[in-house]
Amino acid sequence: MVVGMTALLPTASSRPVSPPPPRPVRSRTPLAGDTILLTVGFSVVVVVSLWLAAGGLQALLAGPGPGLTSAGRITGLVASDLLLVQVLAMARVPWVEQAFGQDRLARWHRLLGFTSFSLMLAHVVLITLGYAVNAHVGVLAELWSMVWTYPGMLLATAGTAALVMVVVTSVRAARRRLRYESWHLLHLYAYLGVGLALPHQIWTGTDFVSSPAARAYWWTLYAAALGAVLVYRLGLPLARTLRHQVVVSRVVEEAPGVVSLHLRGRQLHRLPAKAGQFFVWRFLDGPGWSRGHPYSLSAPPHPRMLRITVKDLGDGSRRLADVRPGTRVLLEGPYGALTTDKRTRTRTTLLASGIGITPLRALLEELPPGATLVYRARHESDLVLRAEIDALAAARGDRVAYLLGPRAHDGSWLPASWGHVGEAGALLHLVPDIRSQDVFVCGPEAWTDAALAALAAAGVPDTQVHVERFTY
Amino acid sequence: MRKIVIALMGTISGLIMLFSYHTSLAGSGTLAVPPSTGTGTTSSSSGSTSAGSGSTSGGSSGTSSAGGSATTVTGDTAQTQWGPVQVQITVSGGKITDITPVQYPNGNGRDQEINSYALPVLAQEALAAQSANIDHVSGATVTSDGYVQSLQSAIDQANL
Repeated sequence: MVVGMTALLPTASSRPVSPPPPRPVRSRTPLAGDTILLTVGFSVVVVVSLWLAAGGLQALLAGPGPGLTSAGRITGLVASDLLLVQVLAMARVPWVEQAFGQDRLARWHRLLGFTSFSLMLAHVVLITLGYAVNAHVGVLAELWSMVWTYPGMLLATAGTAALVMVVVTSVRAARRRLRYESWHLLHLYAYLGVGLALPHQIWTGTDFVSSPAARAYWWTLYAAALGAVLVYRLGLPLARTLRHQVVVSRVVEEAPGVVSLHLRGRQLHRLPAKAGQFFVWRFLDGPGWSRGHPYSLSAPPHPRMLRITVKDLGDGSRRLADVRPGTRVLLEGPYGALTTDKRTRTRTTLLASGIGITPLRALLEELPPGATLVYRARHESDLVLRAEIDALAAARGDRVAYLLGPRAHDGSWLPASWGHVGEAGALLHLVPDIRSQDVFVCGPEAWTDAALAALAAAGVPDTQVHVERFTY
Repeated sequence: MRKIVIALMGTISGLIMLFSYHTSLAGSGTLAVPPSTGTGTTSSSSGSTSAGSGSTSGGSSGTSSAGGSATTVTGDTAQTQWGPVQVQITVSGGKITDITPVQYPNGNGRDQEINSYALPVLAQEALAAQSANIDHVSGATVTSDGYVQSLQSAIDQANL
């Protein structure tokens, strides 16, 4: 009997709470994800083809002036294409979001951002040099002339300045100093930066002036990006908020510093929410209402009630304990890829740490009976929704293992009392057949990394591991 | 919230000012009256400021002469993606003595910059070669194309 581990054995007469779900189907999201990536690649190919069709390759070899200009054009085209892809990636388009998950999209957005920004800077430098060489003028004089006399260039310069500001405030050093809300508002200027570039592309861009087809393609791309943002970031959340009219119905203190908010609304069954997903919530409870909180549902969505469970972590979560019943709620979502859709095997293991238990607690109820939940926390008092989980597991025949205590060492997902078993060894001990199960992981950043490493070491295939990160 | 409103108003004001600047509206430029370039003696520059861009237009072989048997021949207008280009040559004694650009895109800073270095070079080369078989000016491929086309048609019309 290992200290700190409590497991509930299924009782002989346990009845499942919910009817057995259908057999897991091969998740369809890999195909959706591949399709999306192929489309992105294709958009870059189209852009390169436009450049080639306008004689870009020959121009590269035609001498320093045309060569620099042509290189400037291709970098500008690819940079702009990638910027539009970024806008689309963050537009919260449902099937894109379902295919990859918000956290992965945000990571890619960051990588793509720095890439397209570098290409944009290269574009500015190369074009300026190229034009200066052609006109036999000094570089600075050429730059001045370009900014103030070329069609659409003053707008493009302003757009560049906006993008520079956005990138500078998004490097890690800057983000550490900025509050999330301030950073987010500054980041919105990226829309302006991308939009202000369009006129100079259409009016001064060689690849577009000559070809109506190229212009049509470009306008379509911009329109699609703008449309996606308007519909999925503004229109759909607004429509859902108005249709469902969600209000706070009860505030329940689960434990010191942990509250559950029960929310009621109209026709909630028409929200396409699944257990494991989250919404971005805005509570109209006074100044500061405009800040959105991403919280997972802590119980499967119910036709008349949604529940979230929030731990006081500062950053505005404390005031939720004082929210009054009847407070109206603006919602955005549902978001999140941590759902039963991702299952590939018959049996499932859930690994939770701290407040990461919330989506997994909801997910548990939608899984077939006989699942395993491993819940890691520092102290017994940190366990959230414990009584509820115990009752659920008892009724359904699930196993629950609580791993309590301080970390075994830095980079370990285990408590000190389990340290001797080994990172991967502990997994195999708890769930001997974990290699043939789906594993859902949710918790703080460092612990999640450690758990994923342990799963890999234990030989659980990547396709069976499903993770969602809270902070990105 | 107040800071957001202030930032929003500031941004909108900035955008209004940006879009009021002349290069921020309506794309490529219009045509303008060309200055007279070239090394020739007699040059009657018929400055035609046709604002519209027709499809093709014929040239006119006028015979306005100023002394001697010099004739001026205007070539066809060549349509390029930046706008129409048309040149006029002065022929005297079977040789081209002057080449004047009659139409060229000149409405915006980019066009002006290209013209300022490309047109004189093209004229000089053509006068030296006494034909339209001249090199393009690098960085002004499109303008050079149009120039050569129009020049060739003027040469053809003058039966040189």
